Amino acid sequence: MPDDLQDNPKSIIRHYVEMGVLALLLVVFLAVSLWRQDPLHQKDAAATMKAIGLILAAGLTLTMYSFLYRDNPLFKIAENLYVGVALGYMAMFVWRQALRPMVYEPIFHAPTWSALQTALLHKTVPIIVGFMLLTRLSRKHGWISRYAYALMIGWAAGLAIPNITNTYILKQLYAAVTPLQQAITSAPNTPAFSYDWFVGTAGPVVGTLVILIGTVSVLFYFFFSVEHKKVGRAVSTVGIWFLMVSFGASFGYTVMGRLSLLIGRVQFLLDEWLKIPST
Amino acid sequence: MFLKRTLPLLIVFTIGSLAFVHDFIPHPLSGEFRSEMASWMMIIGGFGMFLGVYSLMHMHITRIRQKMAGWGYSVFVFIGAVGMIATGVYGDIVGVSKDDIDLFDWGYKYIQVPCGATIFSILAFFVASAAFRTFRAKNMAAGLLLGAAVIVMFGRVPICEAVGGWVFNDRQAIVNVANAIMNYPNLAVKRGLLLGIGLAAIAQSVRVLFGVERTYLGGAD
Amino acid sequence: MRTPEINRKRFELARRCVYVVIALAVIIPYFFNPKQEFKPMAEVVSVYEKIDAMKPGDQVLMAFDYDPSSEAELYPMSMALLRHCFKKGVIPVIVTHWFAGLGLFEKACNEAAEDANSMWGKKIVSGRDYALLGFRPGWTDLIVKIERDLKGAYETDYFKQPTRGMKALEGVNSLEDFELMIDLAAGATVEFWIAYGTDKSGTPMAAGTTAVSAPDLYPFYKSGQMIGFMGGLRGAADYEKLLKIPDRGERGMLAQSAAHIIIILLVLGANVHMFAKRLFGNKRD
Repeated sequence: MPDDLQDNPKSIIRHYVEMGVLALLLVVFLAVSLWRQDPLHQKDAAATMKAIGLILAAGLTLTMYSFLYRDNPLFKIAENLYVGVALGYMAMFVWRQALRPMVYEPIFHAPTWSALQTALLHKTVPIIVGFMLLTRLSRKHGWISRYAYALMIGWAAGLAIPNITNTYILKQLYAAVTPLQQAITSAPNTPAFSYDWFVGTAGPVVGTLVILIGTVSVLFYFFFSVEHKKVGRAVSTVGIWFLMVSFGASFGYTVMGRLSLLIGRVQFLLDEWLKIPST
Repeated sequence: MFLKRTLPLLIVFTIGSLAFVHDFIPHPLSGEFRSEMASWMMIIGGFGMFLGVYSLMHMHITRIRQKMAGWGYSVFVFIGAVGMIATGVYGDIVGVSKDDIDLFDWGYKYIQVPCGATIFSILAFFVASAAFRTFRAKNMAAGLLLGAAVIVMFGRVPICEAVGGWVFNDRQAIVNVANAIMNYPNLAVKRGLLLGIGLAAIAQSVRVLFGVERTYLGGAD
Repeated sequence: MRTPEINRKRFELARRCVYVVIALAVIIPYFFNPKQEFKPMAEVVSVYEKIDAMKPGDQVLMAFDYDPSSEAELYPMSMALLRHCFKKGVIPVIVTHWFAGLGLFEKACNEAAEDANSMWGKKIVSGRDYALLGFRPGWTDLIVKIERDLKGAYETDYFKQPTRGMKALEGVNSLEDFELMIDLAAGATVEFWIAYGTDKSGTPMAAGTTAVSAPDLYPFYKSGQMIGFMGGLRGAADYEKLLKIPDRGERGMLAQSAAHIIIILLVLGANVHMFAKRLFGNKRD
């Protein structure tokens, strides 16, 4: 029992009640698992391991959800086991999918002498730089890793400038202004204020103007080099309204995303662990 | 000083300038250069990942060795990691056929996948609870936030079409409002943010190239 | 007057009540499955139509950039896309920036291949009908490499088979050789693919993302940098509906509807309570 509960009879009772409920839940979980998965009477070892795996997966899932009641040691154990397994998986795939195919096999398993020469020509420098990166682990020689970082950071920065200018700036600016011109010039020849006129001409123009006003006002809201007074304040207020609508939309989507994850877990528990077929 | 600071800064400037310039040259040799450099970076990235794995393992082993607060939990990290590495190495050396039980795969399927999927799904409860407790239309801005959230939340689930058909005699009525929010104000804001992010990223890259930004060199000299 | 202790207890109680209500809203619909009519969103339809218009043997580069934490949303999308490709005879070439999802991607390929066998009698073979190339480090550098030299980035596939001479990769070695590029992403890789890949090569690009990231894609969609995208489980459900193969996406939509309505009612109820308090005052306190 935790020391801080020793002198509080209410807490002591609560502690024992919680322990009792936990033990009961554990018994129920095992009983249900054995009933639905029946790992002891499977046709072969693979089926048995699958059943045990599903019980473990369900147990870990429910343990994770115990956090909703309160942070507890079982949750922490599951969480740390997850971190460990993910770490082990990463270690294996650093080898299997990175160092082995890109470094080890081309050099140590080169099929021909010329293949080895080609591999050495193309890979010697990055391998040396890669080892320089590992000097980060040494206090004395850690500075050598700066060359590796310099190479990576310099390359990434140099490459980012043209590509980001193109994708984030030029293409977005182009998209912000061209629909307006297109909407006006390619508008169908329909009588003004008719339904077709609203849908075909006025609608796209208004929509494009809304986007343009929104983009400009949001940019202005984040532009702090001038004081937001009078007209400036009005523009930045419009920017705030646009931002709020967008944040609201993003919040709506966030709720949708998180619930989808929950639905996924519920589907797993009911479908795979409890084997209740969906109607 | 030259070796520890000036030379790395020179490398950043030189390699960054080459990357920048070659992006504008349509000659195949420039393409080859970009491709070759990308291969280099991928190999160095592999070593970087190894560094990440080692650092995390080292941190937990140190916690266990020094019996720091919560060291018992680090034992589970250690068990998980060593278990996966051992089964993975066994599979690589001995080989696991399709009919054999691959414990590495088993650990992934029944520990990593359910834990990873569950840990983020817990947020569904927190998001719902936080929305219930704090989402209030106290002023114009908060009202817009709330209104947009409610319309998008409702307009993105199938039931809104039935409700739209029943109330407005148009199944797409509510969907269209949600679409309008996404296609106009949302788009406007995201575009504004993209322009801002783009300009900031370019400014930061220029600062890196010219050695104004040098935190990546680490501390000390 | 309420003491802080009473406030804390009320808060705890309200919190747990919300949890229970949300859990029930997600669990109960599992047992009911009324016919749900919904029109797939335009941004999903354009992705479907693009793949549907392809000829057998055309190749699609698919980047599965997610891991188990977003499996619930992106795995159903992966399944729908793979099934569609196998049905049409289109060859998906799968790469990833996220090593932690590799087990899931292998499972998705196997399951979709089994489905293709059972539904259309097609025997799907790795290396011929699809290529799972796997993971390589490098993030943007992997894209830069693939943009020019796919087989240089992946000398072997996930199953250690050499990519040179692989039937599934016949005629493709750079991004522009593909008919379409699709990124199923749990993170920011869609923007990387656009900036460093498809904007340069001119390859049509589509995406599937978690619902959280979906609003960020509208500027790219409307600017024509992407032909379409799927957002969250609803995006997967839309694709399943178009493909006429209902799966986890469509099955989850009733629970999604129920949970959204509960949250909307909770939020609106709390706001009505606030306005009522403002109008009539809080006499009890």
